[in-house]
Amino acid sequence: MNAAPPNAAFAGERRALGFLAELSRGLALSLDLDQTLRLAVTRIAEFMQAEAASLFLIDPASGLLECRNCAGPVDIAGLKLAVGQGVVGRCVAENATQIVRDARSDARVNARVDAETGFVTRSILCAPLATAQGAIGALEVINRRDGGLFDEADAELLGLIAAPAALAIHNAQLAAGLLEQQRIKRELALARRMQKSLLPRRRRGDFPLLGVNLPAHEISGDFYDYFDRADGRLGFVIGDVSGKGLDAAFLMVRVGSLLRSAGKHAASPARWLAEVNAELCGLLTDGRFVCAAVGMYDRAGGRVGVASAGFPPALLHDGARFEELAATGPPLGILAEADYAEHELELGARALYLFSDGATDVRAAAADRLGSQGLRELIARHAALAPEPRLRALLGELKRLRLVDDTTLLLLQEPAGSAAQTLLDLVFPARAEQMRTVRAALRAALDAEEVAPELRDRLVLAVDEACTNIIRHAYCGGEGETIALHLAREQDMLVFELRDSAPPVDPGKLKPRDLAECRPGGLGLPFIDALMDEWQVSPAADGKGNVLCMRKRLVVGEHE
Amino acid sequence: MNRNGNECVRESLGDYVLVRVRGEVDLSWSQQVRRAILDALGETGKVGVDLSEVSYIDSSGIAALVEGFQNARGKGQQFGLVAVSGAVLAVLRLARLDRVFPLFPDVESARAG
Repeated sequence: MNAAPPNAAFAGERRALGFLAELSRGLALSLDLDQTLRLAVTRIAEFMQAEAASLFLIDPASGLLECRNCAGPVDIAGLKLAVGQGVVGRCVAENATQIVRDARSDARVNARVDAETGFVTRSILCAPLATAQGAIGALEVINRRDGGLFDEADAELLGLIAAPAALAIHNAQLAAGLLEQQRIKRELALARRMQKSLLPRRRRGDFPLLGVNLPAHEISGDFYDYFDRADGRLGFVIGDVSGKGLDAAFLMVRVGSLLRSAGKHAASPARWLAEVNAELCGLLTDGRFVCAAVGMYDRAGGRVGVASAGFPPALLHDGARFEELAATGPPLGILAEADYAEHELELGARALYLFSDGATDVRAAAADRLGSQGLRELIARHAALAPEPRLRALLGELKRLRLVDDTTLLLLQEPAGSAAQTLLDLVFPARAEQMRTVRAALRAALDAEEVAPELRDRLVLAVDEACTNIIRHAYCGGEGETIALHLAREQDMLVFELRDSAPPVDPGKLKPRDLAECRPGGLGLPFIDALMDEWQVSPAADGKGNVLCMRKRLVVGEHE
Repeated sequence: MNRNGNECVRESLGDYVLVRVRGEVDLSWSQQVRRAILDALGETGKVGVDLSEVSYIDSSGIAALVEGFQNARGKGQQFGLVAVSGAVLAVLRLARLDRVFPLFPDVESARAG
């Protein structure tokens, strides 16, 4: 080994490298960055042989630089500076190291601390904590202990130290930000779930109200509700709380329950709104208000009453024309003495659409807003669909357009033909001689439904085969028995029901044979099987006899 | 002919027997159609069933035709369906029998075999 003896500069570099390695390791492994930084600042002051050292970071909330840690005779922790102000502020603003050789004559130096503390600042060195996004703070050292002035070599050394510190602090800030974001996201998702759970359950089957809520963000200020009233009427409500985000969502929860409880006992939609308005006027003091429309629907009488507190106009559509039902009073929570009127009308087969302004605020590609006219066009385009697929189609269209506000839709319409419509009801003696008359009646009933002749004949054949099977096999040709035929239509479904009072038939024994075999008997069941979409035999509900139910869906333009 | 317009008559054309069926063939009288066909096959080796005036046929009517066809084939007799109406053809198709029976447009071609 022929190593040269270490000279002074080399020893300085070795010392710097050792310190940097230790500092970096400490920062990288730190579990508590504040504590690690506190120690680091003291170590930096020692290493730089400075009387004081301090670490400033930009507070994201205020945008000010704040002294987070310091070492030295004067505790300036918590000291706040504007970016650009003083040596530290300028260092951050310019993202460049500042050297103050003579503090007393340098305009950058803020003399206030010295004046307040009696500390005498002679020389300052300040290096930015630089990241790819700019400086996030600065590292400052004051007064060389040897009484000398900081020079370029000192500046270079402090710059070296600032780099890993900046990296560690920045990483820690990003990680904390990420955690915070995840926490907020989790909480918003939870709030959304809670909010959704407050919306009424979708009712299956023959129910005239359908609602949907599409929040523009995780949570919504919109709501809708429907419920049964003690007087037999259905109460329904749709609302929009002013403002966005968590505040609006919490208010929505409160207003929603207020509206529901008032809606259960209020005598009319107008009284309903008046009561909630009076309550909200005492509750809302911060300029918030609520737009809502409420209604009561008497299914048996087919009449609906609607009152609206500043809610966008309801649309009444008869399939061809629209009628607008304007608001009948101001939004809730503004005027305690507000009076509300109401619309009272015969619903009939018409559809009543209530939609929050999110629906009309949806941005159409280049146009400004979709607007009421745009919404009417959307509704008209899908008017032929049954309520449920129609609402789905409307939503699909609104989603394709850009959602800028919460969107909520409530649709009131009696489902057409949901109550099965009876086409034929016949009870006849279980005798083969009767079948001619039965077939004629069935043909006439199917003709009245405009079933195509080919399909009509096939359906008649299937029913005939089913009846002759009952006559021959269930009743075994016995006299004095009857068969009841019930034909109903449920939208595009024809339902044929045959009841007998014969001993129970074992459905497991009813297996249609393969039509490919050529033999004389047993063709009836295969015919039924081929002609109907589905069929099944079950014991009658009263335990007497069997019920054969056969279904056939009518398809427009049905061909063989 | 009964009061419903249902009818099944036997017509001899030399050694050929044509069974003419009219009306709606269903369980109430398909046994008569069956008997007429089997009787005709008992008389002669060449039988046709004219179905031009049949507006409806059910599976029991189809079964009568199938039985006649199987009987004839078993004895090497000639058996065909003549001038089959649209209503009958639709059911034959459904039963996948439209290619099993010899079908003739008229009695002349049926007699010629």
